[in-house]
Amino acid sequence: MANTEYHVSLHDLTHVFDDGRRSLTALSSVTIDVPPGQFTSVIGPSGCGKSTLLRLAGGLLTPSEGTALVDGEPPRKAQRAREIGFVFQDPSLLPWRTVAKNIALPLEVDHLERTRELPDLAELLDLVGLSEFRDYHPYELSGGMQQRVALARALAFNPTLLLMDEPFGAVDEITRSALRYELLRIWERHGGPAGRKTVLFVTHSVSEAITLSDRVIVLSGRPGRVRADIAIELPRPRTEEMEQTEPFLDYAAQLRRLLKEDAQ
Amino acid sequence: MSIQEFTQRSLRSILAYVAPPAVLLIGIVAFWEFYVDWRDISIIVVPPPSAVVERFFENPDFFWKEGGYTLYEATLGLMFGSSVAIALAVLMAHSKLAERTFLPLAIVIKVTPLVAIAPVLVIIFGFGTTPKIIVAALLSFFPTLINAMTGFRDVNEGAHSFLRSVHASPWQVFWKLRVPSAMPYLFAALKVTYPLALIGAVVAEWFTGDRGLGLVIFSANANLDTPTLFVAIGVLAITGVTINIVLSVIERRVLFWHESVRSTTT
Repeated sequence: MANTEYHVSLHDLTHVFDDGRRSLTALSSVTIDVPPGQFTSVIGPSGCGKSTLLRLAGGLLTPSEGTALVDGEPPRKAQRAREIGFVFQDPSLLPWRTVAKNIALPLEVDHLERTRELPDLAELLDLVGLSEFRDYHPYELSGGMQQRVALARALAFNPTLLLMDEPFGAVDEITRSALRYELLRIWERHGGPAGRKTVLFVTHSVSEAITLSDRVIVLSGRPGRVRADIAIELPRPRTEEMEQTEPFLDYAAQLRRLLKEDAQ
Repeated sequence: MSIQEFTQRSLRSILAYVAPPAVLLIGIVAFWEFYVDWRDISIIVVPPPSAVVERFFENPDFFWKEGGYTLYEATLGLMFGSSVAIALAVLMAHSKLAERTFLPLAIVIKVTPLVAIAPVLVIIFGFGTTPKIIVAALLSFFPTLINAMTGFRDVNEGAHSFLRSVHASPWQVFWKLRVPSAMPYLFAALKVTYPLALIGAVVAEWFTGDRGLGLVIFSANANLDTPTLFVAIGVLAITGVTINIVLSVIERRVLFWHESVRSTTT
């Protein structure tokens, strides 16, 4: 039954939040297949269920209807194999731990014999450019640096799937733009034997989605449905200059139009 | 910054915090001494501070020893009450059913006046240390329960999701996330419950006194020995202040990462 052609398969996902008094349909019949190594962004208005989609794919929520599969199996299995790396909007670090110990946190919950090679701590710190800050505590770092710690923590198991929920949503615009290219650099460099990691990236920034992605999925407002699925055929590596080129601006106009129509 | 400069600076900052209340206290004591003398108030009604100090130095060991008993009972009661409260809080933080079961009963304990319970405890447990420990435990129980429960639940949502996404067990989530998250709440509870436990021990000693500052207060009151009464109160106050200072020092070391500590140090 395992259809491993796709790394992530979301089929006919519907999710209803029900607290006994009110029910809210966050997602309605969403189907998305993501092949391995693809960088896919999910964009949509606030409250369209983007985060819910990511939590379903990562096995943090169980769908009300439909199926979510990672590598053809329920996401819990990928969790157990430590194949999932989550990054949230809030860096959600443990404030009592140093940078190094925050990054090492996932390794402490693990008791499996690893077959794949894990990056060591120095490598991870170097990757996110925080080697000199290993013994700092999160409150001594800027928001952008905290988010880089969160990224390193998500990479600690060298997972094949990265799920990123508006990870740069809480940092200022300039840092945000820098982080975007840094993420691309890491993604392109930190591939491992399985090729590049598959990334599902939730954002509400149009330019962020285009810069990063191979593919952008536009969700409509609540309840979220797939409104458009657009391949971004810009060459890699992506550069800041590219943001001023015609194809980039065309994609941006197209996405903005889709989002605007939905808002009306 | 040289060591000498550093000591000078920290001395100055300590002075800045200690000096104002110390001046106020000295002022009050001086006025008290002067007023009692001026109005010729009887030593039985209000003794002058000098008489209180004199009484203490007549037999300081006696007061320290009785105070030690009270502190010992309060501490044991505090540990007992807090342990039960924390254990229940763990259950309640994980299960709504446990919360619905235990919380109403905990509120009954909270609202029952302790003075009413103490005689009952004497009948049940006699005049030993047990009733004092129980009263101290009952008083420290409720604030610890509520704070611990809130603390175990007040975990960073993203950190919790992250741990779940790497398949951490509930046990690992508890030790790595819930316990450290609850520490600020537990310290806040301790600063309330330690003085409460002292009160509990003193009240229990009134009723079941064979020793301790509660008994000293009780018998001094009966004998109209007001200076001794004041010494006992003073020893209790000093004990309370010392506990508070020690707790604050430990809190600063343990909760260095928490904004409540950081906002007062920088």
